[in-house]
Amino acid sequence: MVTRVISGDHAVAWGVRLARAEVIPAFPITPQTLIMELLSEFINDGELDADFIPGESEHSVMSIAVGASAGGVRTFTATSSQGLALMHEMLYAPPQIRLPVVLVNVNRSLGAAAGIWLEHNDSMPERESGWLQCYVEDNQEALDMTLQAFRIAEDHRVMLPVMICLDGFVLSHTVERVDVPDQAAVDGFLPKFVPVNVLDPDDPVVMNPICPPEYATEMRYQLDRTIDSTKSVIKEVGIDFAKRFGRSHGDLLDLYRMEDAEYALVAIGTAATTSRLVVDQLREGGKKVGLIRLRFMRPFPKEELREAVSGLKALGVFDRSVSFNSFGPIFTEVRGALAALHLPMTDHIGGLGGRDLTIEEMRDIFARIEENAIGKADRQVYWHGLRGQMQ
Amino acid sequence: MTDTIKDVSKLTIKDVPNKDYFIWGHGACPGCGVAIAVKNIMKILGPETIVYVPASCLVVFGAQYPTSAFEVPYFFTAFENTGAMATGIRAALKRRGKKAHVVGLAGDGGTFDIGLQALSGAADRNEDMIYVCLDNEAYMNTGIQMSGATPFGAWTTTSPAGKVISGKRSFKKDIDHIVAAHGVPYQATLSIAHWNDFVRKVEKAKQVEGFRFLHVLTPCVPGWRSEASKSMEIARMAVETGMWTLYEAEKGESALTYKPKKMEPVIEYLKLQGRFAFMNEDDVNTLQRWLCHKWWLHYKDEVEAPPCYIYRTEKPMHMDGDPLHGA
Amino acid sequence: MYEVRFHGRGGQGAVMAAQTLAEAAVLEGYHAQAFPYFGAERRGAPVKAFARIDKGRITLKSQIYNPDMLVLLDETLPEIEPVAEGLKAEGVAVVNTALAPEEFDLGISVVTTTVDATTIALEKLKAPIVNTSILGAMAKAQDFVSLDSIVKAIQDKFGERLGARAANLNSEAARAAYQSARTGRCKAERPFIQKAQWLPDWNELPIGVALPTTQVNGVVLGPGSAWQNMVGTWRTSSPHYDIEKCIRCLRCWWSCPEGTIKRQEDDHMKFDYRYCKGCGICAQICPVSAIEMVRGVKTW
Repeated sequence: MVTRVISGDHAVAWGVRLARAEVIPAFPITPQTLIMELLSEFINDGELDADFIPGESEHSVMSIAVGASAGGVRTFTATSSQGLALMHEMLYAPPQIRLPVVLVNVNRSLGAAAGIWLEHNDSMPERESGWLQCYVEDNQEALDMTLQAFRIAEDHRVMLPVMICLDGFVLSHTVERVDVPDQAAVDGFLPKFVPVNVLDPDDPVVMNPICPPEYATEMRYQLDRTIDSTKSVIKEVGIDFAKRFGRSHGDLLDLYRMEDAEYALVAIGTAATTSRLVVDQLREGGKKVGLIRLRFMRPFPKEELREAVSGLKALGVFDRSVSFNSFGPIFTEVRGALAALHLPMTDHIGGLGGRDLTIEEMRDIFARIEENAIGKADRQVYWHGLRGQMQ
Repeated sequence: MTDTIKDVSKLTIKDVPNKDYFIWGHGACPGCGVAIAVKNIMKILGPETIVYVPASCLVVFGAQYPTSAFEVPYFFTAFENTGAMATGIRAALKRRGKKAHVVGLAGDGGTFDIGLQALSGAADRNEDMIYVCLDNEAYMNTGIQMSGATPFGAWTTTSPAGKVISGKRSFKKDIDHIVAAHGVPYQATLSIAHWNDFVRKVEKAKQVEGFRFLHVLTPCVPGWRSEASKSMEIARMAVETGMWTLYEAEKGESALTYKPKKMEPVIEYLKLQGRFAFMNEDDVNTLQRWLCHKWWLHYKDEVEAPPCYIYRTEKPMHMDGDPLHGA
Repeated sequence: MYEVRFHGRGGQGAVMAAQTLAEAAVLEGYHAQAFPYFGAERRGAPVKAFARIDKGRITLKSQIYNPDMLVLLDETLPEIEPVAEGLKAEGVAVVNTALAPEEFDLGISVVTTTVDATTIALEKLKAPIVNTSILGAMAKAQDFVSLDSIVKAIQDKFGERLGARAANLNSEAARAAYQSARTGRCKAERPFIQKAQWLPDWNELPIGVALPTTQVNGVVLGPGSAWQNMVGTWRTSSPHYDIEKCIRCLRCWWSCPEGTIKRQEDDHMKFDYRYCKGCGICAQICPVSAIEMVRGVKTW
C-alpha cells in the first residue's frame, strides 16, 4: 500500500490500472481528461497492459466499449456532461446486452447556460438506462469503488454496466490523501473477467438482433429484476473489500448519526461531506439530526430508505439538479419510495452550475427541514443560494 | 490475414465456395441486391468472421430475435457506429489472441451520412476491419428517403416529384474519394453484375491487413421502382453508363478493374427504373453532363463516350458537392 | 362496431385497402379507423392491416382478434398463417381467388365472397396490385358501405396520390370485381396452421439478447436458424430449370438472392423451392434460356 496525495481523477486512473482494464476508449472532455491522461501515461510507460483507443466522439467511444466488452474483455471509459449526453443512445445497449462496461462520469453541468462546473443534470437522466449508478464522496471512495465496480459488474449474477459518478472539480481536481492498494491485494480481490456472451467465431451467437414484440416485455422485466438483485452482490463485495483493505464506505446507504434522529437530510456526493459537519454542529447544539448518504441511485435502495427514515419527523433531500417544473430527481425518487409513510418532505436544490455549496447554505437546509418537522414549512421545494425571492 | 497477398487476378465465379454463411429463409424482398452481395461476400469470407450490421434493411431481414440467417457471430446496436463497433470488437479479439475477420455491413445512409464520422475514425486509426457499404442509394429500410448516396434526379419519398421541385437536386456524394483521403490500405468498388471482379476484390480485401473499404452497388426493387428480375441487369447498366465505375486502390495506388467498350447513354439506365420516370429532359441532360465529367476523369480517353461528344466542347461546370470537379 | 382484418403480402396494398374502406365508411357517415400491423417484413412477406367502423367515436386502439370480416388478398396465405383464427362464426370472408366460394378451403365455414382480383388487376392495371379489386368484392359482402362510396373513396385516395387516370382504372377494377364476385359458403377442411414458437417466461430467457444455436421444443434458435422461414410461399411464379440446356456458367447460382439454387458437384444446379421467392433473376441472367419463369407456386 502506498499513500499518495492525488486528485479524484487520478484516484480513478489508479483504480483502473490496478483493475487491469484491457481496452480503454476515450474522448477528451473537461473535467474527466485527467483520468485518460494518466491512463495513457501508464500504458505508454508499460505500467498498464491495455489498449487505449482515441475514439472520434463519445458516441463512438461508447460503441467501441460495447464492441470490446461484447468481444469478451474488461473495458473502461470515462466522460462528463455533454460527452455522456452524446453517449446516451449507446448507453442503452450494455444493460440489456448484459455487458459489464465500467464508466466514470465526472459530473458537470449539461446544456445551455452551462459551463465546465459541477451539476448532476448530466448523469441523473441516465438513471433510466439500466446502468448501475454509484455516487462517491471522496477520492479514496473513487478509487475503491472503481475496483469494486469491476467486481460487481462482472459478477455472473450481475453482468451489468456500472457508472461511477464523482463531482467535477470538487473531487476530480482536488487532491486528497488516498491509500493506493498493492497490485497483489487487488488481484486477490478482483478475479479475471469471464464473459458470458462473446462474439467468437468458434462459438457463434446472434447478439442483439432486432427484437419483435413477443420478447421485449420479458427482457425488460428480467433486467428490472436483475438490477434489484444486485443489491446483495453490492453488499457482499463491500464486505469482502472491507475485510481485505480495512475500509468501508457504507452500504447502499451510508448512515451518519441517524440513531435517534428526528430529522435528516438525504444527499449524494460531496454535498454529503459538508452536511456531516453541519450534523455534528447541530448535534453539539442538542438537535437530533442525521444524514442519509445515498451511494447508489441504481439499484435504488427503496426498502433500505424506508427503514432508515423510521422515527423521523421530517426529511429533506438535496438535489444538485432539477427536472424543470417538477422536483429534483432524487426527491422524486425518495418521495416515491416513501409515499406510504406520509413523512413530511422538502426538496433542497442548490450548487447548480458549479455554484459553491457553503456551510451556511447547508445550515439553512437543515433549518428548513427542522421547520418542516414542526409543521412550519412554507413550501416543498427550496432553491438555495438564489438571488431574489422564490415564487 | 497473411503477410504476402496471393494473386487473386485469376479468380472467377467458379472459385467461390459452395458453403453459405448467410443462408436462405431471410426476409429480403424478392430480387434484393443487398442479399446477393451479402450472400456472396459471406461465402468468400468464410466462417472465421464476425459480422456487425448497423440499422438498415439487412438488420431487419438478416436476423430477428431469436433467429438469424448468419451462421457466424452477428451483432447490432445502432445506426451510426459501424466503424466504432468494429474497432471495439477488433480490440477484444487482439487481446484474446483470436483471429477473425471483423466485417461491418452498412448501408449507404449508415456510411455516407450518419455513419461518416465513425467510418472516418476507423479509417484514420487504420482499424483492422472490412467495411462494406451496401449502397442502394437511399434510406430503404425506413421507406425510401433520400441519402447522400441518392443520384441526381431520383425520386424518393423525401425528394418527391412535386409541382415545383422534382427529384433529388444534388449529386451523389463521392464516398470513395472521402475514404481514399484517409490513405487506407485497400478499397474497391464492386458490382454484383461483375462477379469475377467482385470475387477478386473480396478475396483481396480478405488478405490485406488494416482498414479495407468495399463499396457495392445493390439495386433495390421497391426503392428503385424496378422489376425484381432486373436487379442484375440494372447493376450491369450502371457500369455501362458510368453511373457506377469499377476500380480499386491499394495503398493509394488506384487502378481501373473494368472498362466498358463504350459509354451507353444514361437514359438506358434510367428507363429501367421508376424512380427516374419523373425526370425531365433538362434533368437527364444535367445528369448526363455530370456523368461525362466523371467518365473522363475515370477513364480518360481510354473508353469512347459517344453521349459526351455534345458536351465535350463545353466548359466544365461548377457543381457544388461534386468532389471530382477540378481534380 | 364492425371490425375487418386484412391479410396480404407486402406490396399488394393491404394497408391502402384498409384505409380506403375507412374513408368509404366515413363517406357513409360512420366513424372509422384503419392501421397496419407495424411489422418489419419486406415485399412479398405476409402482412396484416385492420379497419374498424362504428356509428360513434371508436375508443379502441388494439389490434383485431375477432373480426366480423376477413379479407385475404392472397389465397395461399391459409397455408402458411392461421389467417382465419378468431373470425366470428357469423362473420364473412372475402378472398382473392379464381375458385368459387364452395371450392375455397378457409378452415372455418363462413359466408364467403370470392373474386379473381389478380386477373382483374392484371387486366385493368397491368399489375397484380389487387387492393382495389378486393374492395369492390367487399362492397358486395356487407350492406352498410356501398360500392358507390368505395369508388368515391378510391377516386379520392388514388386520385390524390397517383392522378386521375390511375383513379379511374382502379375504380373500374373495383366495379368489375363487384360484378364478378360470387358469394356462398366456404369449406372448412384444412386445420389452422400451427406455428411452433419459442415464448419463454422472463426468468427462462437467456440473458443478454444473445443466443447460440440451440433447439427448444422443436424450434431452432440462434445463428443459422433462418431456414425455418419457408419464404418460398411468397412467390407467385416459379423458375423451371432445364438441365439439358444448362452450360454450367454458375450465373444463376451467383445471382440468386436467396441462395436457394444449389450448385452440384458437376456445376449443374438444383433448385430448393422451399426458399425461392420467384424474383426471376435466374431466368433473366441465364445466357442460354435454361431457366424459365412459370406463373404459380410450382416445383419440379
